[in-house]
Amino acid sequence: MSGDPAVDDLVAALGEALAPDRVRHDGAERALLSRDASVFEGGVAGPVCFPVSTSEVQAIMRIAAAGGHNVVPRGAGTGLAGGAIPLGAPIVVSTTRMNRILDVDVDDRIAWVEPGVVNLDLSRHLGPLGFHFAPDPSSQQVCTIGGNVANNSGGPHCLAEGVTNAHVRAIEVVLPDGEVAMLGGLDAEPLGYDLRGVFVGGEGTLGIATRIAVTITPNPPAVRTLLLSFAEVVDAANTVSAVIAAGCVPAAMEVMDQRITVAVERYVGAGYPTDAAAVLLAEVDGLAHGVDHDAETIATIGRANGATDVRLAANDDERALLWKGRKTAFGAIAQIAPDYYLHDTVVPRSKLADVLEQVYAIADRHELLVMNVFHAGDGNLHPLLIFDAREPGVLERVHLAGAEIITASLDAGGVLSGEHGIGVEKQQYMDRLFTDDDLDHQDRLRRAFDPTCRANPGKVLPVGHSCADIQSLRAVPTGVWG
Amino acid sequence: MAATLASADPVLADFAEQVGAEGPVAVEGGRTRWLVGGAPPPDVRTVRAPAGIVEYAPEEMTVRVRAGTTVAELDAELSSRGQRTPLPDRGGTVGGALAVGENHPGLLGRGRVRSSLLQVRYVSADGVLVNGGGPTVKNVTGFDLPRLMVGSLGTLGLLAEVILRTEPNPAVSQWVVSDDADPFAVRHVLLRPGAVLWDGGRTWALLEGQADDVASERAAIAVHGTFTDGDGWPELPPHRWSLTPSGLRDIGAHATGRFVAVVGAGLVFAAEPQPSRILDPAARTVGERLKRNFDPDGRLNPGRDPAAR
Amino acid sequence: MDLGLASDDLDKCVQCGLCLSSCPTYRVTGDETMSPRGRIALMRHVQHRGAPLTAEVVDAFETCIQCRGCEPACPSSVPYGHLIEQTRSVLVASGASTPWWQRLAFRQLARPRLLRAGTTVLALAQRAHLVPQRLGLPARLPLRRDPHVVSGRDVYLFTGCVMDAWQRDVHHAAARVLEAAGCGVTPTGDAAPCCGALQAHAGLLDETRRLARRMIEQLEPDVPIVVDSAGCGAAMKDYGRLLDTDEGRAFAERVVDVHEFLAPILDRLPTVDPLDLRVAVQDPCHLRHVQRVHGATRTVLAPFVRELVELDDDGLCCGAGGAYSVLHPALAGTVRSRKLAAITRASADVVASANPGCTMHLAAGGCATLHPIELIDRALSEERAPGRPPRRSRRRSSRG
Repeated sequence: MSGDPAVDDLVAALGEALAPDRVRHDGAERALLSRDASVFEGGVAGPVCFPVSTSEVQAIMRIAAAGGHNVVPRGAGTGLAGGAIPLGAPIVVSTTRMNRILDVDVDDRIAWVEPGVVNLDLSRHLGPLGFHFAPDPSSQQVCTIGGNVANNSGGPHCLAEGVTNAHVRAIEVVLPDGEVAMLGGLDAEPLGYDLRGVFVGGEGTLGIATRIAVTITPNPPAVRTLLLSFAEVVDAANTVSAVIAAGCVPAAMEVMDQRITVAVERYVGAGYPTDAAAVLLAEVDGLAHGVDHDAETIATIGRANGATDVRLAANDDERALLWKGRKTAFGAIAQIAPDYYLHDTVVPRSKLADVLEQVYAIADRHELLVMNVFHAGDGNLHPLLIFDAREPGVLERVHLAGAEIITASLDAGGVLSGEHGIGVEKQQYMDRLFTDDDLDHQDRLRRAFDPTCRANPGKVLPVGHSCADIQSLRAVPTGVWG
Repeated sequence: MAATLASADPVLADFAEQVGAEGPVAVEGGRTRWLVGGAPPPDVRTVRAPAGIVEYAPEEMTVRVRAGTTVAELDAELSSRGQRTPLPDRGGTVGGALAVGENHPGLLGRGRVRSSLLQVRYVSADGVLVNGGGPTVKNVTGFDLPRLMVGSLGTLGLLAEVILRTEPNPAVSQWVVSDDADPFAVRHVLLRPGAVLWDGGRTWALLEGQADDVASERAAIAVHGTFTDGDGWPELPPHRWSLTPSGLRDIGAHATGRFVAVVGAGLVFAAEPQPSRILDPAARTVGERLKRNFDPDGRLNPGRDPAAR
Repeated sequence: MDLGLASDDLDKCVQCGLCLSSCPTYRVTGDETMSPRGRIALMRHVQHRGAPLTAEVVDAFETCIQCRGCEPACPSSVPYGHLIEQTRSVLVASGASTPWWQRLAFRQLARPRLLRAGTTVLALAQRAHLVPQRLGLPARLPLRRDPHVVSGRDVYLFTGCVMDAWQRDVHHAAARVLEAAGCGVTPTGDAAPCCGALQAHAGLLDETRRLARRMIEQLEPDVPIVVDSAGCGAAMKDYGRLLDTDEGRAFAERVVDVHEFLAPILDRLPTVDPLDLRVAVQDPCHLRHVQRVHGATRTVLAPFVRELVELDDDGLCCGAGGAYSVLHPALAGTVRSRKLAAITRASADVVASANPGCTMHLAAGGCATLHPIELIDRALSEERAPGRPPRRSRRRSSRG
């Protein structure tokens, strides 16, 4: 009992629609679901629902619509931009119990999944059939496909294959008014506006996906993984743009600077050189001759750009170890200092070297330690500012440095986010990239799905735009527990 | 706050002015797909988007191009640097190809039109230039207006300028044909073919990649049929059908007339038009709200409806 | 409320969530309160912000199986096992957790004669069909146990409490295998009746310390202590930290899992025909996530069976969790269902699991489960069995 009869009625109605044990309103549950993996606080969760079917999600949406309640969907809560943080005590819809792989069709090359299916679980399931799900965010062992859809997630191997949007064919969605819509389709060119394409990356503001048809990708017969060492970070960055300029699109091109390489080596011992200023991990896949040709191209270009060492992973074990090093990079950092702020901007590939130099200078200016590990092939930077939040005043410096990194990226012709999304993190920067007219049109798009602004309100669009009035949302008290 | 787009680019400003803020207006490209989704009234005022390649950065694999540029001109420029896009060239314009949103019959190799659009600048129903997306190959900054524009038939905004993603041409492209192959088995064997086409009897496969790989793939599909060298695209019948890839297996159940199917995609070029398809009612409602939100007076390309193809 | 947790440990968590999939209770509930990240956040709320210990908070802490699968998954190396153990001990002290009857039951574990007598009663009751199956007891508890035999003092074989009463056959098998490798074995028997692991999981840390000190006193120094129960081995290897004494640390150094002990001396075992079985290895959590010596199980078992097969669930817990399956049967059963599905996918003849709790829990779920050492013993004893036709001698190609 919350002490508020209206809330009690809401919880009771939700419990009746689902099952009483799948609707929770206790302080512990609400406190935990007020956060995601980002640093942002200030979220307040209302009743937390664990639906198991489309019809239950629909029932939640109808109850919400009837009572004028807001609704925030949530997957594994691994987002870094605060997209799943509930503002103003909305109903939180956790999709984690909707975790069935419903159907796999090799002929149509699709898998129908529920939104709570874990990304890596799907690829594991597809493995025996010779397929995988291409987007591979670093959190893939925990993040959900529904979350990937909401954030249009990427990952190291999205360079050649494209991000989530390129791998989603159809989505069953419960709209904020409670109607169930099928967006897109398995046919070649579905009818109507590309609502499927628009829904991907909608950060939960357009409705809740309840079934998703994703493209499954055949596992390549041949893979080559190269590790190139450089004496200067700019040499690595220049190699990346030269490889692309040479008409070669590897499956992945990841750069790590020396600080992070040293940390990774200490953490997992993946065999990275610790004396190089930067390493480039490049992977090509496909048919045997093509991968050899591309591997040779990358090696040649690397050497021409000053690579001090070029190594080809000798076998699958070595390859797996190198990737383990790359994918545990953030963990390695956590060993160094308790807190880090992971940024996510994209710049044109030819500007990588220039913007990287600025990032180092910015961190120096604010007396912060910065490490760079990023999806170089896409121009997707991930500067990590490392700090100890217990140090007085350090958070201000972290935020100032972050703002300058964003400015440097935008000045180089870049964008605010490559894969984390806007959430609550970058709303205030949206008008640096878009005019009021641009934002107004984004708002019109959003309101076509959600005319009354009840789906994950207060996200993406900056304050001052309809559907983005977060001031009133933040006024809700947090309650006694937590 | 950045200066508005219009003040920054007089060519776009001029196009916005032509579109204006009042009265019905249709945009005209190559008129190659004029009747898709319905035609505007014959007396409607028409405008043409500006033309020309603004900036081609082969090393970024992106090209900024005015919407009125012909696909042929774009293709010529890109092929001079060994690159291509997924846009089909049917004598029309870049803006037209995007607004119609139909894929190249070689979409297995080239990818889909909808995935190639990075940034869009269009004139709204208010006569204002609007920018969506961004110039980088990866971007999740805000709502995805570029995706919305692809296939919208110019009903939400009139395309003025876009940035497209390009990709390198394959080292070797080789057509092979067979009269006794199972096209579905062939499709399954090929890792990244340029195309696998089938007319119910003959199978065409476009093998792409390094020469040695093309040779080995050719050897691999020989198990499924006797292949000889081909000489290019077969003639494609005029009507487009949209089926599921597996739906092609029982294409005989449909009255397509002569057909050429894109195996692996579900796209069919047929002699007869596809019976009208039905859009999900809730999706239709969202589409109608989109139209109202973007063009409340219905002045942009009146008579057209992406849900009525 | 002060949970007595070190702030440095608690603050290490950056709530990235990478632990979620490694947590069996989160995996089956999808509920953040049943996840390591969630439980750590609740500890912070209680300790740093003074949030009250509501029923839901206590439940969140109590439903943790303490498999510690989250620890290898954690990039920040949060010492979760110690955090939850400490939290539970404060809950017990405050009366919020582990009621008197449970404490009484745990205390009986260190009373071997009583335990054995109770087992006989239970075994008789079973035979009279008086014991409901849902209790998850072994299908047929032993009515009597063959006595332990001292064959030398190269190693101690730690025999423990419940395992000694219910699964003494496994100890006999371990002793035979160790003897076949040329080791004289002294079973610890009633000299060291209990390691205190189950008590520690329940938050009865003082009881565990008492048992640890007693064991250290009772066992002669310098003799390796071989353990064939993963949970006991993990607890005993932690005595150094638990007692924070030099004696504790020296003792912990001597503790070794039976597979870990055998792996480097495998060539001392006779070469025999492998059992014609496809065996799925189910790693006990405290072998895999805590002791992290599960590789040795495979090394030691491989020569003695036709085929080893891995499960595809990343070593997720089976739900046994010591006394957990008794205290939280519903959740433990759901966790087990997931494990049984993975076992079914592996289509093995038998599952090998090196922990008594796991073998009982899986067997209660209808899954043929043996301790790896029993399989090795069987392979060796079939070789010894009279009446076998002579066999060409054969070399093992490789061993770890």
